[in-house]
Amino acid sequence: MTLNQSVTLEPHKSGFPWKKVIPYILIAPTVIYYIIFWIRPVLTSIIQSFTPEIGTGFTVENYSRIFNDPVFWQAVVNTGIFVIISVTLEFVVAFGLALIINKKFKGSSLLLAIALIPMALPPVAVGAMWSSGFATYGWLNSLLMSMGLIGEGEKILFLAGSDFQSLMLIIIIDAWQVIPFMMTILLAGLQGIPKESIEAGYVFGGTRFKVLRKITMPMLKPSIQTALILRIISAIQVWLIIVLIFGFRRIPVLLEEVVFFQEQVQNEYKLALAYSVIVALVVSVVAVFYLKVSGAFKGDEEQ
Amino acid sequence: MATLKLKNLSKRYGKTVWGAKDINLEVNDKEFIVLLGPSGCGKTTTMRMIAGLEEVTQGIIYIDEKDVTFLPPRKRDISMVFQSYAVWPHLTVSDNIAFPLRLKNLKSAEIEKRVKEVSSLTKIEEYLERFPRQLSGGQRQRVALARALVVQPKVFLMDEPLSNLDAKLRVKMRTEMKAIHKKTQATTVFVTHDQAEAMSMADRIVIMKDGSIVQEGSTDDVYFDCEDMFVAGFIGTPPTNFLSMELGEKNGKLLLVNSAFSFEPIGENYEILKNYSGKQVIMGVRPESMQVFKEKKPESVFSREVLVTEPQGSHQIVAIELDDQIVKIVAPPFPKVNPGEIVHIGFEHDRIMFFNPETEKRIRKA
Ligand SMILES: Nc1ncnc2c1ncn2[C@@H]1O[C@H](COP(=O)(O)OP(=O)(O)O)[C@@H](O)[C@H]1O
Ligand SMILES: [Mg+2]
Repeated sequence: MTLNQSVTLEPHKSGFPWKKVIPYILIAPTVIYYIIFWIRPVLTSIIQSFTPEIGTGFTVENYSRIFNDPVFWQAVVNTGIFVIISVTLEFVVAFGLALIINKKFKGSSLLLAIALIPMALPPVAVGAMWSSGFATYGWLNSLLMSMGLIGEGEKILFLAGSDFQSLMLIIIIDAWQVIPFMMTILLAGLQGIPKESIEAGYVFGGTRFKVLRKITMPMLKPSIQTALILRIISAIQVWLIIVLIFGFRRIPVLLEEVVFFQEQVQNEYKLALAYSVIVALVVSVVAVFYLKVSGAFKGDEEQ
Repeated sequence: MATLKLKNLSKRYGKTVWGAKDINLEVNDKEFIVLLGPSGCGKTTTMRMIAGLEEVTQGIIYIDEKDVTFLPPRKRDISMVFQSYAVWPHLTVSDNIAFPLRLKNLKSAEIEKRVKEVSSLTKIEEYLERFPRQLSGGQRQRVALARALVVQPKVFLMDEPLSNLDAKLRVKMRTEMKAIHKKTQATTVFVTHDQAEAMSMADRIVIMKDGSIVQEGSTDDVYFDCEDMFVAGFIGTPPTNFLSMELGEKNGKLLLVNSAFSFEPIGENYEILKNYSGKQVIMGVRPESMQVFKEKKPESVFSREVLVTEPQGSHQIVAIELDDQIVKIVAPPFPKVNPGEIVHIGFEHDRIMFFNPETEKRIRKA
């Protein structure tokens, strides 16, 4: 009897290995979906970007036109500045806010609700709101005047500043909208840190700052990574808010150029494709580089 | 090493909930004190106030005669083992232990030496380079212990440090921690809800209930000389049997009476009860302070049918029913007693405790 039982407990040596195959069957629809709707169009775009606008054949004409266009290099610089400054600024403010709201004082949930409002607004609404605000007779100048901060004749020409100032303006508007998003990710991460881990930091000699640096932030690393990578990728792809406030080609950035060539000018479809391939490449390279540097790939060995 | 003194220490959560109320306690140098009580009685709250993790509503905390009530944790010269261990997952075992020393800016040679010492004391030398998630619960608990020991604090706080271990390991760690305390001689406050743990480890047990201290004393004090019915019912397994008795008088002699039997309080008990004639009292008697006889003896007070028996190897527990209440008696393993058998029961009179049914407090000699 017992002998028989132990035999049946042995794994089936013969027969179809269902256990091994089932995961692949389950994942198959997703893989097929990816191939049809993602890999195929991406490959087509890449191939198409190496063909002339009219006719067939292989050409690097599209790319050489882009690389010889001074606006492209301007877009690269602008995008770079935008990414570095906006991600840094947004992270610092979002992290600070998350730390404050995580304290759970009276009214912290109200503060959280208020802080989340900008996230709920679509970019078009944000663009409209701020471009009307920044107009010479817009609400921002009126507000400043009614508070007595500026006089009738000293209206600020927000939109007429230098390129750098204009970019800063965009960064601030963008930050206003993105900070709640980052803060939410960081706050969720903070709430996942066991209270006692932080308290142990204080008991074992940590000041607020030391505990933040040596315990809170390392334990928050997965959330920080998520927030930063999502934000870096979306920052590289900034365009709509800029176009809504300044229009096309006043502050050129990478994705804005893609849209420009696709929507605003006739017969530059292939050029727009080449542009989007470049943007995709930049995003991938930056993302992989970031994940590598921040140690997200190390996974099991260390963490 | 150091002393710890709590004076009228109280903590109120919100407007009405008292986590701890009017705690007065003095812990002597090198003493191992255990706060014992059921869940929710305020042990953690008290400990967190000592650590500086919880704001004090009222009262004063002295460490070595110095008022530390409003100092942050790092300035109190304490260390703590948390119930969840709270070892930091992103640091190796050795970095976890070294963390408090690095914050004190000790030289790295000194740090290394102390980490080595304490890890050999807690038997975790082999795991120093591992991360906490690569350790079992028991090993993590040792890391937490090592980290707390390495700082050589004035006061050592432990909040249910063994409660997440399995039963066998828990008993083993009791002995080890006691041995460690022997070596380090650190003034220790240890929190637990487990009376066996408390009794086996403590120099002095402090029993808490509803945020207040109800009794403090040695293991024998809280076991044999209970202040009230709560302590008598809380300490001991099986707990104290409580029998409702009326004090009658017959032929000028006091008589303790209930529905099943009566007997005369003698010696000390007479002195205690002589002013209670005509009143109700509750008689508390520990299971091992009762005797079971197979034959009627002069010492036996009443007879009863055995309801069930629980053999325990070293002894047997005999349960009888009395006034709709189960009374348990601890008897020697032999002769075996069987359910259904009629047995004769006696008391060790000098071990009986009497309580006031209204206040539930112990009735002592006037
Ligand atoms: N943060 C808190 N807010 C409100 N009430 C609390 C809080 N912490 C503990 N309490 C209450 O205080 C009492 C004592 O809790 P605690 O000290 O944790 O008990 P123990 O550690 O003895 O189980 C309990 O009634 C508990 O509900
Ligand atoms: Mg507790």
